[in-house]
Amino acid sequence: MLTVRLAWRNLWRNRKRTLITVAALSLNTAVCIVTYGLMVGVLAKMQRNATRLTSGEVQVHAPGYRQDRSLYKTLAQPEALLATARAEGFAAVPRTYGYGLISRGGKSAGALFWGVDPAAEQDAFALAGDMAAGAYLGREPAGEIVLGRKLARALQVAVGDEVIAVVQAADGSLGNELFRVAGLFSSAGESFDRQTAMIHRADFSRLFVTENRVHEIALHGRDRHAPQDMVAALREKHPGVEVLAWPEISPHFASFMEYMRRVAWLYAFIFALVAGLGITSTMLMATFDRTWEFGVLKALGTAPWRIVRDVAAESLLLAIFSTGIGMAGGCAVIWIFQERGIDMSRFIQGAVSFSGVAFDPVLRPVISWAVLLPPTVIMWVTALAASLYPAVKAARIHPVRAMTQV
Amino acid sequence: MDVRKRPFLSGWVPALSRWSVMAGLGLPSALAAGEAETPDPTPRQMLDRVDNLYRGSSSHGIMAMKVVRENWSRELKLEFWTQGKENTLVRILEPAKEKGTATLRTEGNIWNYLPKVNQVIKIPASMMGSSWMGSHFTHDDLVKQNRLAEDYEFVQTFSGERDGAPVVEITCTPKADAAVVWGRVVVNVSRDDWLPRSIAYFDEDLHPVRTLAFDDFRPLDDLSIPRVARMVPVDPPQERTEIRYEDLSFNVVLPDDWFSIRELQR
Repeated sequence: MLTVRLAWRNLWRNRKRTLITVAALSLNTAVCIVTYGLMVGVLAKMQRNATRLTSGEVQVHAPGYRQDRSLYKTLAQPEALLATARAEGFAAVPRTYGYGLISRGGKSAGALFWGVDPAAEQDAFALAGDMAAGAYLGREPAGEIVLGRKLARALQVAVGDEVIAVVQAADGSLGNELFRVAGLFSSAGESFDRQTAMIHRADFSRLFVTENRVHEIALHGRDRHAPQDMVAALREKHPGVEVLAWPEISPHFASFMEYMRRVAWLYAFIFALVAGLGITSTMLMATFDRTWEFGVLKALGTAPWRIVRDVAAESLLLAIFSTGIGMAGGCAVIWIFQERGIDMSRFIQGAVSFSGVAFDPVLRPVISWAVLLPPTVIMWVTALAASLYPAVKAARIHPVRAMTQV
Repeated sequence: MDVRKRPFLSGWVPALSRWSVMAGLGLPSALAAGEAETPDPTPRQMLDRVDNLYRGSSSHGIMAMKVVRENWSRELKLEFWTQGKENTLVRILEPAKEKGTATLRTEGNIWNYLPKVNQVIKIPASMMGSSWMGSHFTHDDLVKQNRLAEDYEFVQTFSGERDGAPVVEITCTPKADAAVVWGRVVVNVSRDDWLPRSIAYFDEDLHPVRTLAFDDFRPLDDLSIPRVARMVPVDPPQERTEIRYEDLSFNVVLPDDWFSIRELQR
């Protein structure tokens, strides 16, 4: 305790220098915390976008379906899979996919048709409640179609317009039907916006002559079940199908998240380096000022390790004090922007996606111990490490030379 | 339908125009009937013949198309008209469910008419490589804007016997600036009648993709022409599309607006 009290007193012997250093370190810590909080928040939102908007945290397919997306590789028992999932408390929806052409007037575009169960989709996934225009599909099949925004723009259609869908049906014939545009989706990722045309599964079955067969069951755990647990539960009861969690379904996005985490570590390293250099500089000056003092201490018989300990304690105390303020500042900034977010949409034209997942231009940071502790602890460790050079230098001075130098 | 068929090679047509039509088809004049000795056709003439097969200055005919795919197979009966190198109109006669569905090709664009919804749609450039009517012929094949003799560098690579028949093989490599999807096209022409026997298509990495084989050489409208054209993909090998020409007339007279969207919808 004496060490601590001495260190504290030593810090304030040169108030101006200490205050400037505290200001620098606490700013450094605060910026680190806010940046990290932003990154965590944005990545979490992107992950939610990837899984909660459309693709789900877990997907079930017939073996081999994902390789070629063949219209003919359908699930043998979709109803049983849905029943199992719902019994376990997961949100689950059946989906069928097929490629085709959408046309209106002289404009045509290729599209990926989704045959869905609108009631189940609205219950399970957020996209249905987030339309950019118009409304989602009705519960009963009524020749309605909902398009991705970029697809609608390519075709120059608006809500209420009529479009033709022309597809290669499962029996080889040319399926063609008229649909009315019921709504347009908000941005949910580049390829989704460009290709998606969603229709009721009964309409899909008639258009593609697929006899109500299903390609995919998409699930998520309603925030109550981890994806790996869901995968295990389904694999146990249905061994014949392919059950995958989202990192395996979207490996691009999973590796993108991993990449961002490593970038965060790089930032932390740079911040620590800067802070460390500042601390070394400050402590060097502090010990230089007290050369005579250290000379006296050593002449009196103080062991070198005690001097090292004292200098290091000073540095650590400085760090703790600064990070305390930095944490408070960082928390305050994050707390202010948590709800409102930092609106970057002015700088971003149109919709942006990374690895196919929509990027929300309103950046929202999050607060949690996971966000606060790493920058703080890194700062403490840096402070200790940075003070070693000045401390050892102080511990090794020659007593007589130190006392006569001044 | 006011399409009058003018008989080809009929008596009153002066011999001169007969030759010019033949020459237009790229046929060596020696084919017509035991005339004086003329040299064998050059590779360019053979390729022109392949490009002009079934076309003439205009044509009208009926064909049966059988498509066999991994998961289904179907047979269609189609009526078609062509004019020059640009215009093609094809209409489905059978099966009844799809009767009236038609495809029009003019000026490098392809339009489909769908009677069920009574709408005409344009095939976008992005879908030119997709299959036409579910067959192994693509919309690109229908547009056929690339001519072997003009967009490819060609070299005669073989002349001799293959499977007991004398053939000439011409290997065509696309010119650097040609907008062509194939990396190589190899044409086999028979030395007996200078008609093509097969065309093999290779992708940019020179892997074989598909082969078009010609068969059943019997006269149609007094011209010796393969009545059967069979497109077989390399993968999956059990699939194929076979077109059988049941009726074919050349140099038919067609009204000026025959190849129009309005006509497409009839």
